[in-house]
Amino acid sequence: MSSKRLNKISSFFLNLKSQPMEIVLFLCASFSIIILFLMLFFVAREGALAFSRFGSDLLFGMRWNLESELFGGFPLLYGSIMVTFGALIIAIPIGVCTAIFVSEVLPFHIRDPIKSIIELLASIPSVIYGFIGLLLVVPFVSSFFGLVSGQTALTASLILSLMTIPTIVSVSGEIISAVPKDYKEAALGLGATKWETIKTVVLPISKSGILASIMLGFGRAIGETIAVSMVAGNQAHAPLSYLEAVYTIPAFIATHMGEAPVGSMEYSALFGLGLILLIITFIVNTLADIVVKRGAQHG
Amino acid sequence: MGSQTKERILFFALGVPVVICLLAFFWIAATLFTGVGTLSPEFLTTSALKGGALEMIVGTIYLFLGAAAIAGPIGVFAAIYLVEYAPSGKFTRIIDQAINNLAGVPSIIIGLFGFTLFSRQLGFGISLMAGWLTLALMILPIVIRGSEEAIRIVPKSFKQAALALGATKWKAISLTTLIAAAPGIVTSVILGIARVAGETAAILFTSCVIITRGLPSSPLEPVMALSFNIYVRIVAQGEPPESVFGIALILFFIVVAFSLIAIILRVYYRRKQPWLH
Repeated sequence: MSSKRLNKISSFFLNLKSQPMEIVLFLCASFSIIILFLMLFFVAREGALAFSRFGSDLLFGMRWNLESELFGGFPLLYGSIMVTFGALIIAIPIGVCTAIFVSEVLPFHIRDPIKSIIELLASIPSVIYGFIGLLLVVPFVSSFFGLVSGQTALTASLILSLMTIPTIVSVSGEIISAVPKDYKEAALGLGATKWETIKTVVLPISKSGILASIMLGFGRAIGETIAVSMVAGNQAHAPLSYLEAVYTIPAFIATHMGEAPVGSMEYSALFGLGLILLIITFIVNTLADIVVKRGAQHG
Repeated sequence: MGSQTKERILFFALGVPVVICLLAFFWIAATLFTGVGTLSPEFLTTSALKGGALEMIVGTIYLFLGAAAIAGPIGVFAAIYLVEYAPSGKFTRIIDQAINNLAGVPSIIIGLFGFTLFSRQLGFGISLMAGWLTLALMILPIVIRGSEEAIRIVPKSFKQAALALGATKWKAISLTTLIAAAPGIVTSVILGIARVAGETAAILFTSCVIITRGLPSSPLEPVMALSFNIYVRIVAQGEPPESVFGIALILFFIVVAFSLIAIILRVYYRRKQPWLH
């Protein structure tokens, strides 16, 4: 470490010393970092036993069986990704179109009420979504497709898409609204129609923000626990059809933690799954952040 | 003319998804309202031991109030640091990233973490206390982001006036900026409450039980909660969804009420703060 750098660091701490309140504020701001590290540490510590014993089988093993001590998480990972992709396929077009429509097309005075309703949609708890899913979507899917049980990957995707749309709308809506007015007016002044302005000015500038909103939606969907565990049917196999039941990682953790004795191999394996999920969401959220920042530099 | 018609059709097509969103919300609301008949004043005030929902409602309120009381001050202080003190450097960027990441951690992982750290390591067990701390982690990013925005829009001249009168930096901020930002800060805390009032996964292993004898008498006792009750009765005990209709409706009302209050507060104060225009 160069002395210049050391100087900088020591003056930083000296500065803190002369202003006691600043120390408190600084610690509060650093709290999030501390918590994230603790979270990684504790989840990894509890999952270490299973990881050291089964290694990549926890990720790629096909069977989860307590008696034969098999802890393969592949069907769960598969189920999580299947349900998340299903949800995104529905949520992306609806979410992005809504964001464009609300922030570019709608007249000013009705923007806020519509945004508020979408915000309300986001605030509905997942257990209520699960409840609504059981009450309405499950019977609908089973009668529409003539299935014995309406608790399928499709059902979970439908419910999840409802929960992901607000994320996509609010994040990409914010980015779209942030496109400088001058740019749009320049295009309109050159004779472009409103749609041409959206297509050639607004969308290219907000492209990365929209991508980031989709990634955040992915992160939200893959981690969703309660609603999915209520409507997905919870069967740990890796089906090809969306009309079959699936089990996702978070749903599996939620339903199995209660029975797993603390310190047992199953307990550790559940934390191992948790660690996998945590790492996936870390990566996705960090990438989304980078994409937004990079887009902001170009825009 | 031709292109204008084309554009109208395009915009109309763009509007369809919006209508889907609106319909979804009203559909959910309408479905829930069909269960209003299951609610009665007695249901709300009778103990759960006698088939009511009293302990669940109070337990839910205890949980989110405590969590907000913990996350509120930390979040506001963090926001003040980030807006007013933080040097623009690498470390500040890392803090920023960490807040975003914390906001994106799935609630089930927050629950696992809360169980290992608060319930086991710190010895709080399955308790109100463990639930407060766990839920506080979910409110924190919302409060930080909301307060940051509220503090950022306060004109610098407020603070500068106080500084010119000889106030220290902290005095200037706490006496002017913070007071001007107060409505926005309160709104962010309410939004945080709306986010966790119906949270289930995070309190699944940390603070809830399906039935208690009366209300908890200390923070180290477990509580009942509306969300937990709905989930466990449907998933673990296999009850039909209709049997928890009343509880689901109460929870929906609580959460929507908090969100609406936050939205209305925001609109109201935006109009009242002349420096925003």
